[in-house]
Amino acid sequence: MSKSALRPLSDEEWQDLMRQLRDQPRPRPRPFFYGRVMARLAGPPARAVPFGWLRRPAYAVLLGALVLALSGDDKALSSTGPVPGAASHPAP
Amino acid sequence: MLLTDDPPAAPCPLSLAAEAEAALVLQLQQGSETAFRTLVERYQDRIYRTVLALLRSPEEAEDVAQEVFVEVYQTVARFRGEASLSTWLYRLATSRALKSLRKARAQKRFAYFTSLLGFDNAVLHEKPDHAHPLALLEDQQQLRLLLEHVARLPPQQQVAFTLRHEQELSYEEIAAVLSTSVPAVESLLFRARQTLRKHLSPPFRHV
Repeated sequence: MSKSALRPLSDEEWQDLMRQLRDQPRPRPRPFFYGRVMARLAGPPARAVPFGWLRRPAYAVLLGALVLALSGDDKALSSTGPVPGAASHPAP
Repeated sequence: MLLTDDPPAAPCPLSLAAEAEAALVLQLQQGSETAFRTLVERYQDRIYRTVLALLRSPEEAEDVAQEVFVEVYQTVARFRGEASLSTWLYRLATSRALKSLRKARAQKRFAYFTSLLGFDNAVLHEKPDHAHPLALLEDQQQLRLLLEHVARLPPQQQVAFTLRHEQELSYEEIAAVLSTSVPAVESLLFRARQTLRKHLSPPFRHV
């Protein structure tokens, strides 16, 4: 790539770009915006579900894995060897 | 001859506007639906455009703009007039738009994370990135590039740039919206322009 392609905009080019930005057609909300606001006000208020994030499977699985890891049960579950100090056969 | 009947001084248009605004706020606080309709119709375009410039999605902009007016309706009783009505509205609009942007970015990160773990969570699929409708209308490459880089600016710079160059607010008005000083706004705009000019290369011109 040539050096000229990397040079920043000159003052004139920048002003021209800002003018283009200002001269753009101005978007407006769809008609009957007020009606939709009023409908929203009249509707039931949104209630936050407690622990709603737990309903997402990924969060639930991650939380389960975290609880398991912190409790140390994962080691007990995964260990297949004999528990130290425990006899495999009862003493006669 | 003495001229005792001088014409009264013309009332200052600014003070008239302030009086009209105070009257509108009072009516709103008394629960007047007509006043609320007046407020919505007077400010809906400005609020929608501000939010749209930050979110770049007409659907989300409409949603956030509605939320702004719902919040105004529900909390106008607590409005004490420390700032002007338009400053308050712009403040609500920009803070809600930034909140929506943060939420969208968090969802994007979460979707990426779950895709790495192999979870198929349909709700969290990444939304399509809408191009700014202004840029789509004109199909101007340089403008589109500019708007893409504006979206990557830090939030405060993004808001300052949008309010200055798209809403044409004064430095004082932007400072009031952002609850900061005029020099701080100047600094935000200086850094925003510097970053943008660095990333935008001059358009290729045929000779």
